[in-house]
Amino acid sequence: MSVVREKRETIPRPLPLVEASKNITPEDVLRLTKITDTYLCDPDANIYDIDFTRFKIRDLESGAVLFEIAKPVPENVDENSEKNQENDEPIDPNSGRFVRYQFTPQFLKLKTVGATVEFTVGGKPVNRFRMIERHFFRDKLLKTFDFEFGFCIPYSRNTCEHIYEFPVLPPDLVNEMIASPFETRSDSFYFVDDSLIMHNKADYAYNGGMST
Amino acid sequence: MGFLTVLKKMKQKEKEMRILMLGLDNAGKTTILKRFNGEPIDTISPTLGFNIKTLEHRGFTLNLWDVGGQKSLRSYWRNYFECTDGLIWVVDSADKRRLEDCRAELHVLLQEERLAGATLLVFANKQDLPGACTPEELKEILELDQIRTHHWQIAKCSAVTGENLLKGMDWLIDDIAARIFTLD
Repeated sequence: MSVVREKRETIPRPLPLVEASKNITPEDVLRLTKITDTYLCDPDANIYDIDFTRFKIRDLESGAVLFEIAKPVPENVDENSEKNQENDEPIDPNSGRFVRYQFTPQFLKLKTVGATVEFTVGGKPVNRFRMIERHFFRDKLLKTFDFEFGFCIPYSRNTCEHIYEFPVLPPDLVNEMIASPFETRSDSFYFVDDSLIMHNKADYAYNGGMST
Repeated sequence: MGFLTVLKKMKQKEKEMRILMLGLDNAGKTTILKRFNGEPIDTISPTLGFNIKTLEHRGFTLNLWDVGGQKSLRSYWRNYFECTDGLIWVVDSADKRRLEDCRAELHVLLQEERLAGATLLVFANKQDLPGACTPEELKEILELDQIRTHHWQIAKCSAVTGENLLKGMDWLIDDIAARIFTLD
């Protein structure tokens, strides 16, 4: 069963940066009733050099890995990469904050799924590291993850896998989600000591493999 | 209503258990974690931080924490003690040279106040290796009979074959559940 059609596209979306008017708290984002229009913090807010190095989704029933992207480890970076970069477009400060997932309709039929993130931490110890992730289809909240990693060791590499029962969705909602690519979206908020230090976005299509 | 009662009630509602897995480096903590969750175990490198799994098991939400065991990381273990319901101490039963180190580290942990309420499961791992100590031998070498402060058990296991992992885990969960969730 193929549930992934395309591995990944990173689309630098022209989202405006947020006006850093107030401190965003976990309570603020837990109250949101839809996807945010903007990023709620600046990329510079990540003063701990927290870097997400892997995302993986697997199906617990078959054991199949459905989706995996990993950053190359620094040692393996191509020595030409610096040269290549000069020819590239100007670097978008928001690239890397957005992931587009394209799945086939079978994805919505999975029962038990494991979602792994791997991240590295810079030289400063991190206290009370907390992730809140909100998944919406249009304005309907599908799922909230709220997990406190707590302390992270300086220069550490850490992983976290949430294994969960896929929410049972009514068939008409499933059909609508399949028919409306990229209207399923998520915001991932990361807090250290209750201050927002990272905000990533993703969107999802479930019509992969269907001819148009 | 005392603080402990409130805490018990909160946990009861969520049926959540926090289980911390520690032990010397190369004891097999990450392999146990992956094996228990049906992940391939062919490419496991030393843990330089933590690995967490959250899962549903027998109606409980388990938060399993595996923290790296290298000497330089052990001083950070204390950061993960808070709210721990169960402690799994993983032993490489075939690494006889380091059993004294293993005994010493375990007994230091058991004096830790924030682990006072935790149930202890000692996993005598790597039973598939020739020359592995039996649980009876380990009980003696690790001086487990001296432990009066914690509910404890030693169970032989092999993360590679999967032998006894589930049984050990289920004993731990039963013991925690009996302590935390049955009062009312």
